[in-house]
Amino acid sequence: MPQPIYRIENLVHRYNSQPVLVVDRLEIEPASILGLVGPNGSGKSTLLKLMAFILRPTEGQILFDGMPAAPFDESVRFQVTLLTQEPYLMKRTVFKNIAYGLKVRGDRENWTKPVRDALAMVGLDPNTFSRRQWDELSGGEAQRVAMAARLVLRPRVLLLDEPTTSVDAASSELIRAASLRARSEWGTTLVIASHDREWLYDVCDEVIHLFKGKPAGTGRSNMIFGPWIPEDNGLCYKLLGDGRRLTVSAPPNADATAFIDPADIRILGKGEETATANTVSVDGTVTRLSLERQSGDLFADVRAGSLTLIVRVAESHLAAMTLHRGWPVTLAYRPDSIRWQ
Amino acid sequence: MDFILAGFIEAIRLLFGGDSQTWSAVAATVKVSSGSMVASLILGIPLGFVLGYFDFPAKRQARLLVDTALALPTVFIGLVVYAFISNRGPLGEMGLLFTLPGIAIGQTILALPVVTALSATAVESMDRHLRTLLISLGASRRQLLLSSLWEVRYGVLAAGLTAYGRVMTEVGISMMVGGNIKWHTRTITTAIALETGKGMFATGIALGLVLIAIAFSVNVCLSFLRKK
Repeated sequence: MPQPIYRIENLVHRYNSQPVLVVDRLEIEPASILGLVGPNGSGKSTLLKLMAFILRPTEGQILFDGMPAAPFDESVRFQVTLLTQEPYLMKRTVFKNIAYGLKVRGDRENWTKPVRDALAMVGLDPNTFSRRQWDELSGGEAQRVAMAARLVLRPRVLLLDEPTTSVDAASSELIRAASLRARSEWGTTLVIASHDREWLYDVCDEVIHLFKGKPAGTGRSNMIFGPWIPEDNGLCYKLLGDGRRLTVSAPPNADATAFIDPADIRILGKGEETATANTVSVDGTVTRLSLERQSGDLFADVRAGSLTLIVRVAESHLAAMTLHRGWPVTLAYRPDSIRWQ
Repeated sequence: MDFILAGFIEAIRLLFGGDSQTWSAVAATVKVSSGSMVASLILGIPLGFVLGYFDFPAKRQARLLVDTALALPTVFIGLVVYAFISNRGPLGEMGLLFTLPGIAIGQTILALPVVTALSATAVESMDRHLRTLLISLGASRRQLLLSSLWEVRYGVLAAGLTAYGRVMTEVGISMMVGGNIKWHTRTITTAIALETGKGMFATGIALGLVLIAIAFSVNVCLSFLRKK
C-alpha cells in the first residue's frame, strides 16, 4: 500500500481561541480524489487552507509524504496548490498571472508553451486571452484563468475550494473537466470542497462530511437542520411545506442537526402500509437517480416539500423497475435510527 | 489688477529668458525635494507595509502616532531640526544648518508620515485573497512581500505623490533650516515669500508657475507609468 500523501493527526485549529476545526485522523492516498461536503462554516475552507500550508494548525500536525510540513517549507511549497471560490487574480495580464507560479519556481525556460497549454486546458483561446488584463475578464473567465495558473504548475496536489460556485455552467464544466484531467494525466491528488454533492459522489473516491468543524461520517448522508417542533407523543417534526412533516426522534435541542443514513430510508412498495410500528413516513417525488461509482449502489433523490432526501434504492425496486424521475413515492424510516449532532 | 497681469507677463519672460536667480531656486527645490522624497520612500514604504500588513502589539498606538504626525506643522519640524543641527545642538558638528541637506532632513520628517500612513492604508485595503493566492502558487516569504507590494503599487504611488506635494509646497522648514540664502538655499517657496514681501509680484508669480509646472510634469510622468 502506498504511503499516504497526507496524514493529519490530532489537528485542532482555532480562530480567536474558538476551535473551528478538529480532525483526529485523516489520510489521503496519492492520486485519489477526496470530496468535502458540509454547510457553510463547517470548516471545509479552513481544512483546505491547512492542507495547502497557508495556515499553520493551532495544534497537531500535517504530514506530507510522511514528513511534518509547515507553511513556506521547501518540501511542500511547489507540490500543493489551492484554488479558492472567488475568482481572484493579480493586477497583471492573464499571461503574467499564469506564469507567476513558474516564475517563483525559478523556471527560466520559455513560459509561452506551458501557459498556452494551461489556457487551452480550461477552454480559453491563448491568442485571445494571453494579453488581456485581469479586469477585462468575466467572472467565469477569471476563475478559469485562476485554474490555469494552478494547472500550469502540474501540482502533485490540487485543492479546490468550491471552485464552481460563482461561475456559469459552461465554466463550471470546463473547470471540473480540467481538474479530472490533471488527475488522469499527472496523477494529481484532488481534494474538492463543494456543495454539489452529486458531482462529488460521482467523481470522488471518498466523500467526507464536515459539520461544525468535525468530520461527521463518509459517503452519502442526509443532513437535516432544525428547528424541530415537539409533538405530543415524544417525537418532534419539521414542516417541509405542502403540508408535509418530517417526523424525528426527540432531538437533544430544538436546533440540533439530524443525520439519516440513506440505507435507513425505505421506499414503500405499492400496497404497503404507510406507517407501521416504530416507523414513520413522508411522501415525495423522485427527482434523480444516480449510481455510486465505488459501491455500485443506486441512490434516489426524493423531493419532499422543501427537503431533498437521499435514499438507497433496494434491490427489489431495481428488479421491478418501479422508479422513474417524477414518480411519487412514500418513504418510511425509523425515527430511532436518526443520529443527532 | 494691472500688476497681476504684468506679473504673469514678467513670469513668462523670467522663465523663458533663463533668469539665473529663478533657475537657481528651481534647482535648489528639485535637489532638496528629490533627496527628501528618496529618503522618505526608502523608509516609509517598508514601515507602511509593516504597519498595514502585520498584526503586532501596540499596532493601534503606532498607527495613531503616524496619523498624528500627518498634521505636523512645518514650522515645528523646522524648529526641531534647527535645534538639532544648530551649533548648540547634538548634530551641530555636522554643519548642516543653512544647507540643502539640512532642509532635506526636515522635509524627510515631513514626508515620512505621509508615505507611511498612506502606504499602510493601501496595504490594509489589499484583498485578503492575495496572500492565499501567492502562497498557493508557491511564493516564498520574500516573494510574498514583494509581490504584495507590487499589487498595491498604485496606492503607494499615490502616497508618494501626496508626500511630494507637501514637500514641494512647504515654506517653514526651508525658511528656518535653510535660511533662504540667495544662490544657495533659496527654494521656490521661500523665494516666493521673499519676493512677495518685497512687492516683486512678477518674480513670485513666475516661481509659482514653475512650482505648478514641476508638479504637473511629475504627475504626467507617473500617470504614464501607471498606464504601462
